[in-house]
Amino acid sequence: MRSARTLTVLAMLSLTACGRAPDPGPGVLIVSAASSLTTVIEPLAEAFERDTGIAIELNLAASSTLASQVLAGAPVDVFISADHLQMDRVAAAGLLRPATRTVLLSNQLVVVAPLEPPVLPATSPDVLASFERIAIADPVAVPAGVYTRAYLESVGLWRRLEDKLVPTRSVRAALVTVESGAVDAGLVYRTDALSSDKVTQVYAVPVADGPEIVYPAAVIAASADPAASERLLAYLGGAGASASFEAAGFIMPKARR
Amino acid sequence: MPVPITLDFLLCQGDFRLEMHERVEARVVALFGPSGSGKTSVLESIAGLRSLERGEIRIGSRTLYDSGAGVDVPSHRRKVGYVPQDLTLFPHMNVKRNILYGARSDRDGGSAEGLEQILSLLELHPFLDRRVGDLSGGERQRVAIARALTTAPLVLLLDEPLTALDRGLRARVLPYLKRIRDELATPMVYVSHDEAEVRALADWVVELDGGRTIRSGPALTPSPKIT
Amino acid sequence: MTGDVLAIAWRTVSLASLATLVMLPPGIALAWILARRQFPGRAMLETLVSLPLVMPPVATGLMLIWMFGRRGPLGGPLSQLGIDVMFTWRAVVLAGAVMGLPLLVRAARAGFEQVDRRYEEIAGTLGASPRRVFLTISLPLAKRGVLAGALLGFSRALGEFGATIMVAGALPSTRTIAVAIYSYTETGQEAAATTMLAVSASIAFGALLLSNRFASSA
Repeated sequence: MRSARTLTVLAMLSLTACGRAPDPGPGVLIVSAASSLTTVIEPLAEAFERDTGIAIELNLAASSTLASQVLAGAPVDVFISADHLQMDRVAAAGLLRPATRTVLLSNQLVVVAPLEPPVLPATSPDVLASFERIAIADPVAVPAGVYTRAYLESVGLWRRLEDKLVPTRSVRAALVTVESGAVDAGLVYRTDALSSDKVTQVYAVPVADGPEIVYPAAVIAASADPAASERLLAYLGGAGASASFEAAGFIMPKARR
Repeated sequence: MPVPITLDFLLCQGDFRLEMHERVEARVVALFGPSGSGKTSVLESIAGLRSLERGEIRIGSRTLYDSGAGVDVPSHRRKVGYVPQDLTLFPHMNVKRNILYGARSDRDGGSAEGLEQILSLLELHPFLDRRVGDLSGGERQRVAIARALTTAPLVLLLDEPLTALDRGLRARVLPYLKRIRDELATPMVYVSHDEAEVRALADWVVELDGGRTIRSGPALTPSPKIT
Repeated sequence: MTGDVLAIAWRTVSLASLATLVMLPPGIALAWILARRQFPGRAMLETLVSLPLVMPPVATGLMLIWMFGRRGPLGGPLSQLGIDVMFTWRAVVLAGAVMGLPLLVRAARAGFEQVDRRYEEIAGTLGASPRRVFLTISLPLAKRGVLAGALLGFSRALGEFGATIMVAGALPSTRTIAVAIYSYTETGQEAAATTMLAVSASIAFGALLLSNRFASSA
C-alpha cells in the first residue's frame, strides 16, 4: 500500500538521522561569534583545538540573532559580538561573567566601488555625494550599519545621502551588492573589502575620524566550562591570534575595555 | 420465534416530531408509510444514531434506551444490524472485508459456521474478492445484509431493501429475507412503502404518517398471489 | 568539499524525514479533532495550530528557544535527564516539525472532512468502537489528504530556515542546506553557496516529481 511504503521510507531515512553528531556536552565549547569574523576565527578555533584538545563548535550568525539566542537560554559558552549594543543586551539580563568582558578587535570603515566603471581613490568622504546608490548594512539592526550611520552623521553627510542609501541585511550583503554592480558604491568594513577581489577601495575612513568599531567578547555566566572559555578568550587576545586578525584587516582595539 | 419489541419514544428534530408507542411480540415489525413519515428515523433511533427526548427501546431482553433509568447504550454496543437505504458499503474494502467488518470471532462462538450459513443463504461465495463498486444493485444489497448479519445482531434493521431493485431482482431477493426470518430466527424491523412486501414478510405492521402512528396491528395474511 | 555537501544534504533530508514522522501523530489527531468535534476553545486551538504559519519563522524560533532552552519549561527537565535540545539535531527536527505541522493539519483536516460521516456511523452500528472507526474507516478514507499533508510538512521542514537557525544555531554539526546557504553567503563563500543552492533545487525538484506521481497514481 502506498502509504505504508511512504512511511517505511521516511522511517528508514529518519533512523540514519538519530545520534549522528555527538551533542555539545562537556568538553565542547559553543562559541557564538558575529559572522563577519568567520574567515579569521575558523582557523583560529582549529588551532586552539589542536593546541589544547578543547573542542569548539562555532555558531556564526548575525550578532542580534546570537544575542537573542543567549537571552532565550541557549547553551552558549563564549559570545563575540560585532558591537557593544548586542553585548549590552546580554549583560543587562545578567547573563555574562562581567569580569571576562573584553574588547577583542576593532575594524575600519571603508568606501568601496565595483571594478567597473573604474573609480579613482578619493581623499575625503565627500566622494560619497557623487554616487547615485550606496549600499550599507541596515543602520537600525546591524552593527556595521549602526557604525556607518554614526560616522555619516558625524561628518554631516547623513542627511545628504539618506535617499541614496540601500540598506542590506548584513555588511556582507552590502559587499555582495557592490560586487554585483547593482549599486555604485558601498560602505563596508576593511576586512570585507580585503576579502573580495571584485571591489576597489575608494576611501578608507581614518580610524581617528571613524566611529569606534569594537568586537566585544565575554564568557556567558551559565557556561558549563568557564575555565576553558576564559582560556579561549585569552588565546584570542594573544599575540598569535592578533597576527591572524591583522592579516585579515582587523585593527587592534585602542583599549581593552 | 416472536420476540418482545418495545418502541416507545419521542424524537424531536427541528420541526419534525416522531412518536412511537409499540409494545409487541413479533418476528418482523414492518414500518409502512409515505416518504418523510419518519420510518427511517425509527430505524436510526433503534440503532442509536439519533438523540431522543424520552422513552424506551427494548429488543428481547435487552434495553437499548430508557430515559427514565438513564440508559442510553452507545451505538457501537447496541448489536443492531442496520442495513440503511443507501447501503453505505465501505468503498475501500472488498466484499469479504465488508461482510466481516462487524464479525467478532470470540463472542459469537462457532462463527465460522455462522458465516458459512450467511454466505450460503445469500449466495455470496462467488463475490468475496470483488470490489464493492463492481457489483450489481442486487448483489450489493445482499452484501449489505450479510454484513449486518455477521454481527449476530439482536435485531436486523432494514430500510427499504428492495426499493431500488427492479421487479425481477425484487422477486429474487425477497425469498432471502424470508429465509433469514425463518432460518436465522433474527427479529427484523423492516421499512417499506410497498404493501405487498410488508404483507409477505411481517407479522406486525405500524403505519406512519408525519411522525404519528396511524394504525398498528397484526399483518393480514398474505394473499396467495403475492410471493 | 563534496563530502561536506553530501553530509549536509543527507542530514537535511534525514532530519526532515524524522520531523515528518514526529509531526504525523499529533497532526493527524489535531486534524481529526478539528474536522469532527465541537468543543469550547476550538477556535483557539485552530489559531494556535496555525500560528507557526502566520508568525515570522524567527519569532517561532525564539518561542522554541524559550521553551526548550536550558532554562525553559520543557528544556529544563529534559536537560536534567541529560537530553539537550538546543544546538543539536533534535532542535532541527523540532523546528521542522513545528513549522510543518500547520500544513499537515490543514491538508489532513480537509481529507477527514471529505469522509462521509455516514461511513463512520454505519461502522459504529456494526460494533466498531470510536477508536476502531478512526483506524479502519476515517483514516484510510482520508488517506490522500493525510499523505498530501505529510508531503507538504516534509517540504516545509526540508527548507526550514528562520526557526532552525534560531534554535539549532549555525553550528557545523547541525547545519542544514538552508542554514549552509545562509552561512556561505554571509561569509562570502560564493562557490559553496551556489553548490548548496544547486543541491537544494535538485532535492526540491525530486520531491515535486515524487509528489506528482503520488497525486496522479491515486
